[in-house]
Amino acid sequence: MSALDIHAAPRRGLPWSRVIGSVLLLMVAALAALGSLVVPGDPFAQSLAKALSGPEPAAPLGYDHLGRSIYHRLVHALRLSPLIALAAVATAGAAGLILGSLAAARGGWIDRALVMLADALLALPGLLLVLIVLAMMPGTAVGFWAGLSLVLWVEFFRLTRAATRETLASPAVQASRLLGFGPAYVFRIHVWPEIAPMMLTAAAFGTATAIMAIAALGFVYVGMRAPAPELGLMMVELLPYWREAPMALLSPVIATFVLLLGLTLLAGSREQ
Amino acid sequence: MSLLKAEDITVRDGGTTLLAPLSLSLEPGEPLVVLGETGSGKSLMAQALMGTLPPELQATGHVALGNRELNAGDPDRFRGLWGREIGVLPQEPWLSLDPLMRVDRQVAEAHALVRGLSRRDALARASVDLDALGLSGAGASYPHQLSGGMAQRVAIAAARAGGARIVIADEPTKGLDAARRDDVANLLLTEMGETGGILVITHDLALARRIGGRLIVLRAGAVVERGTTREIFAAPRAAYTKELFAADPENWTPRRQRAATGATVIGAKDLSVARAGRTLFSGLSFEILAGGILGVTGPSGCGKSSLGDALLGLVAPAQGTVARTPEAHPFAFQKLYQDPVAAFPRKRSLGKTLQDMQGLIKGQQPKIETLLDALGLDPRLLARRPGAVSGGELQRFALLRILLRQPRFVFADEPTSRLDPITQAKVIELFVRTAVQDNVALMLVSHDPALIRNTGDAVLSLDPASPPVGGELAETTPAASFGVS
Repeated sequence: MSALDIHAAPRRGLPWSRVIGSVLLLMVAALAALGSLVVPGDPFAQSLAKALSGPEPAAPLGYDHLGRSIYHRLVHALRLSPLIALAAVATAGAAGLILGSLAAARGGWIDRALVMLADALLALPGLLLVLIVLAMMPGTAVGFWAGLSLVLWVEFFRLTRAATRETLASPAVQASRLLGFGPAYVFRIHVWPEIAPMMLTAAAFGTATAIMAIAALGFVYVGMRAPAPELGLMMVELLPYWREAPMALLSPVIATFVLLLGLTLLAGSREQ
Repeated sequence: MSLLKAEDITVRDGGTTLLAPLSLSLEPGEPLVVLGETGSGKSLMAQALMGTLPPELQATGHVALGNRELNAGDPDRFRGLWGREIGVLPQEPWLSLDPLMRVDRQVAEAHALVRGLSRRDALARASVDLDALGLSGAGASYPHQLSGGMAQRVAIAAARAGGARIVIADEPTKGLDAARRDDVANLLLTEMGETGGILVITHDLALARRIGGRLIVLRAGAVVERGTTREIFAAPRAAYTKELFAADPENWTPRRQRAATGATVIGAKDLSVARAGRTLFSGLSFEILAGGILGVTGPSGCGKSSLGDALLGLVAPAQGTVARTPEAHPFAFQKLYQDPVAAFPRKRSLGKTLQDMQGLIKGQQPKIETLLDALGLDPRLLARRPGAVSGGELQRFALLRILLRQPRFVFADEPTSRLDPITQAKVIELFVRTAVQDNVALMLVSHDPALIRNTGDAVLSLDPASPPVGGELAETTPAASFGVS
């Protein structure tokens, strides 16, 4: 009846940004997984004679100031931060999903307490929270995982709670409950399809945030400890030699950029 | 001379014709009504006349406006006429007014931007316009402070501010109570006056009759019948028009009210319900027997839906009790929703949803295939999602899902208010037949008193205006043993 009814459904093209994002991420993943198989080598082996020298077959990206192969350090760094980030996002996502649905379904004091906790965490700068946890477990991947999970779950919690509350109040859920369906069915059939796309977006953004946080803390020497190959740490170690070896400095920068761009494109291209 | 003359207006979407060639003319002082159900192409026709069709649709034909000739296939040429020659009264105008802007400013905006008046002159003209529509003093209000009817008048003032002599009103009574319908019709007729022209697009028979003038009946993009409104209403010639008029609840043959014999399924005793601190009704007592139909009517906001929700235990009563028959299983009390699309899981096919229902119930149960057949539904629809079937079909699917539960009581909350009259008549007939056959107690809620009057075994009218406190039973049928106090 309304003018809107007859509008044809928008022609759905291929979501280009999502395709490009996935390709970028696949490239990075392939480098991280297969890099040391294609060119075998050790990211920790030093040979000071080769310090800051250019690429050669055994070290396709040249050597750093201690004569370590930048290629192999990069391959290892690209395994480390994404793995920590993915673990943190998985933990945070699960926690946020469970607590968010609990708050939405139960309401009352459980809801108020969880919202208050989430708001309190949101008021703290995220990096500060990670630093506090890292102060207890300095320089470890587990410390990063715990700290980042603690920061990231709030976003998942808030999204889940808001969407679940709305869905639970809908006539569709009321009808299902009247017909005798239990909470498991309501969650699986009504709630999850509504929040799943949002969760994917939040997970991609969360992963990007986590990778950036690990790199940022590495860059200011409070994250992973040398000699661990880590993106931020590599950048700060190579920074003094930017004049002699610009490509050496640019390698971790470009790798980080490609990784974050891929994640952002993947996250940001949700239709409408 | 005609204000607007359209010749052979056709609308196509690629190869499919959505509107077959249609010609019409709009004369000064004589309204033109286009009547049709959802999907009849009546809104498309208006859009083709305005040059506002979505870009993926193609229009052909000629439109003559005063001394200008326009080609419907070249919609960009129409843009200069918007507001100056043709004004559009939007559907549900309270949604199309800017909620953050005082209403006199909204009308003045059209004077200033379309006619190019200075700000001060525009405001002065706006207040004259509002005065003329009986809105003196309302200029400083915001839209949320206005009633639906007042918002409609503001929208009319804004639509006419650019000097448009032709007003196209697309479903002007959508979302309004029956009581407001006549106000809207009077308003449109007054606005038209002797020299203006109005084109009213509607599915509302009462509005069409009230507007009068000439009438075009559309169905599936083709003209079924045309003539003066009075003659067509007096003696429709086309079979479809006859069917359409017969489907109007006013013209239904009243159901023979039966003396109820069954046992009480559900009852209310001294029931009061409050929402947001306001008592909707109080002291309501009644019983519904198996196979009996209680019709509930009243204006919007009177608590019709809350009454049903209270019976189902979805809303806690402020006072009083609800008693259910103890022999019914806990899920034998069911609800049918106003908007069936919102009552189904959005992203699940109907077949899967129904299978879920079957999987939940142990023991003997009705077969989906048998019910599909009984409700006249095509099994192929099972593969679709709720958004992809028509409203009438989906409402029947909602009934099917409930029947799988073998209900004893069904609360149908405005189940047909979004359906066109012919579908409404079929769906209501089906509901009533099912209730009687399966011995289900039915509480049917509608804002349409005629529908309730011609359907219910007893009628409960909740009108907060008449009784001092809460609702009262304006009409009951003593024959049916609905213990109503």
